[in-house]
Amino acid sequence: MLKINYVDKHFEKVTALQNINLSIEKGEFFGLLGPNGAGKTTLMNLIVGYLTPDSGSISFQGELVASDNLNVRKKIGFVPQDISLFQEITAYQNLKIFGKLYELDNKDLSKKIDEVLELVRLNERKHDIVKEFSGGMKRRLNLAASLLHDPPILLCDEPTVGVDPQSRNAIFDMLYNLNQNGKTIVYTTHYMEEAERLCSRLAIIDNGNIIAKGTLVDLINLMEQKETIRIQKTAATQSKIESLNLIGTVNEYDFYYELIPNDSFNQHSKIFKMLEENGIPNQFIQIGRANLEDVFLNLTGRSLRD
Amino acid sequence: MKTVYNLIIKDLIRLKNDKPALLLSFIVPMALIIIFGNIFGGGGPRGRVAMILVNESNSPVAKLIESKLDTVKSLYVIKTFLSDDRKDTFKIDEQKAIELIKSGKSSAAALIMPKDFFTDTSTALKFKFYFDPKNDIESALIQGTIQQTIMSHAPRLFPVLITRQSLKFIGQDSTAKFISGFGKLIGEFFNVPIDSVIKSMTIVDSASLYSTSLNTASSANVISNLVKFENEQLVGKEVQNPGLTRTVGGWAIMFLLFSLTGAATSLFEEKQEGTLKRLLCMPVSRAHILWSKYIYSMLFGIFQLLVLFFFSWIIFNVEMFSNFLNLLIMITVSAAAAVSFGMLITSFAKSMNQAAGISTLFILTMSAVGGSWFPTSLLPDWMQTISKVTLTYWSVDGFLQVLWRQAPFSAIALNVLVLLTISLLINLYALVRFNNNKTL
Ligand SMILES: Nc1ncnc2c1ncn2[C@@H]1O[C@H](COP(=O)(O)OP(=O)(O)OP(=O)(O)O)[C@@H](O)[C@H]1O
Ligand SMILES: [Mg+2]
Repeated sequence: MLKINYVDKHFEKVTALQNINLSIEKGEFFGLLGPNGAGKTTLMNLIVGYLTPDSGSISFQGELVASDNLNVRKKIGFVPQDISLFQEITAYQNLKIFGKLYELDNKDLSKKIDEVLELVRLNERKHDIVKEFSGGMKRRLNLAASLLHDPPILLCDEPTVGVDPQSRNAIFDMLYNLNQNGKTIVYTTHYMEEAERLCSRLAIIDNGNIIAKGTLVDLINLMEQKETIRIQKTAATQSKIESLNLIGTVNEYDFYYELIPNDSFNQHSKIFKMLEENGIPNQFIQIGRANLEDVFLNLTGRSLRD
Repeated sequence: MKTVYNLIIKDLIRLKNDKPALLLSFIVPMALIIIFGNIFGGGGPRGRVAMILVNESNSPVAKLIESKLDTVKSLYVIKTFLSDDRKDTFKIDEQKAIELIKSGKSSAAALIMPKDFFTDTSTALKFKFYFDPKNDIESALIQGTIQQTIMSHAPRLFPVLITRQSLKFIGQDSTAKFISGFGKLIGEFFNVPIDSVIKSMTIVDSASLYSTSLNTASSANVISNLVKFENEQLVGKEVQNPGLTRTVGGWAIMFLLFSLTGAATSLFEEKQEGTLKRLLCMPVSRAHILWSKYIYSMLFGIFQLLVLFFFSWIIFNVEMFSNFLNLLIMITVSAAAAVSFGMLITSFAKSMNQAAGISTLFILTMSAVGGSWFPTSLLPDWMQTISKVTLTYWSVDGFLQVLWRQAPFSAIALNVLVLLTISLLINLYALVRFNNNKTL
């Protein structure tokens, strides 16, 4: 459905994207996971035809995306990362303007506006000036504006930044339902939790390169170590951590230590016993499967949130 | 104290980076001071006001005044005109002078010294003065200059004229008595031979006219008796509110420039809001955005001017309907030119603030130089030349033709052509810039 072939994009001195190849199929919920400056927004801008690639090409439903191909844009919904709304007028007026530009006629549009406002739960505020909205409300409206024309594909560029957990969950549910009803969704984020929760397939992007792609299982299978042992950083554990070198390698993070045990410690019971002997209580030990954070760390040597 | 100092430094650093504030605080006032200074102050090269001079008299006095007016620095004396094929020059006569003023193309005033300007029996110098009061300052300036020239260069004339007046009104005998008495008085007072005083009061000899030694402290009342101006206003006699009719066009174009530049530079706001990007991610092209801005601004400008003129009509009787079609044409081309100016600024500036600064600087300068605030004829020659490259000039002049002179389309054809050409060129240039520098 969406094909990105050998795309490069440079800004004056920065190489924002390098040799990007992606193929996204109809009905997928596709995630782009990467840290700040990875090139996610740039890729979105290219897909929607706002930017033009230096080389390579992008096509949607067999049609080449280009800045002068307005026809393609009619079929794409785009939620920009930055809030893009006319601040001095009401939510309703905003949606009216955008809907008109998608050539919706008045009757359909009014219905559609009510529908999308219902989706993002802003119906009660529809005649209020956008400027007076809270950050999270603006973000929800920003999303709603991209749904008016019922596009077969929806590109969401970090749509949940600054949204409270409750509203964020509502957005997740909404996107999930849209996807269940056949909408293809491309979703960028730097939260691995979001990517894990939402995406059926994803690509990890770093420094303008796609460094891995596949389903969540595919990506985790890239790891040698499929599970992690974490020890919560507390006043009590901090002083004891030296002694853990006997068990394996210890990596230190902001809020926890990660323990990668030696081959001789291949059973949980042995590890627990050793830890207890070294004065680290069970309560601070957490054993889990590897997550996308670990995958990213494994591939780049850096944490996602560095 | 240290904190205050540091805070002041902070403000200075911010000011340094705030180009619009700097422009508005320093450059704009300096530019305006230069312009106003040139008009109203001394110093600096002074502008010359054009005046047609027709001398039909053979009298040496007329010759003298003519030659003196030629040398007056503040006047640019026109005596000839070019034939239509620009091959021959002809001397302007009274009829031609009237024609020229009515057309408004060469000068706003003509001074005629007719055949009977000063004859053997004249008791006063007779001038005819034709004028188009499209601006008061200009006419006043010319009349003042003429009086001053006559007063300072032909003082010897006045005793003669006084004598002749007294001859006329109080008779031969009394006049002889008056002359000898007056001569004696003057002679004793200034300690000069009485004979020579009496002679100077009775005989006009052109050589002695050049002498400027005599005190010229005569009162204006006496002078105005001795120098007779026959004034005739040639243009705008029927205009109900001359003052506002002459100036409304100038103000109109200035406000138009401000509002339409604002409309064009609102692109920056939309960029900042992110809505510009959103629009460009929708089925909307850059060309759509530019065209919509252009058309919106045009309509807005036309509407704004119509309201402004309508308002002047209701409140101040400025006639807008008697020449409405031509007024509408002028309004439209002025709006087109103003929009393109706004687009140009937008294509150059990097931010809303910068755009506001640059445009204010240019608009105020163009308004001053182009005739929005006062007639360009008051400016020094070099500034008048600059004035002709501003769109304000062509617009103000066009409105003047339409409102003041009630001129037909032929009179504003050139203005329309120039304004449209300016808009076209500026728009093309702005478009090239929009394409190159990604302002959008
Ligand atoms: N208009 C631009 N001009 C110059 N450089 C740019 C421009 N847009 C992006 N870049 C650069 O391209 C790189 C990728 O930026 P991009 O916005 O795509 O990152 P991102 O993955 O969306 O990051 P974030 O999570 O912070 O939104 C960065 O180094 C950025 O500085
Ligand atoms: Mg981004």
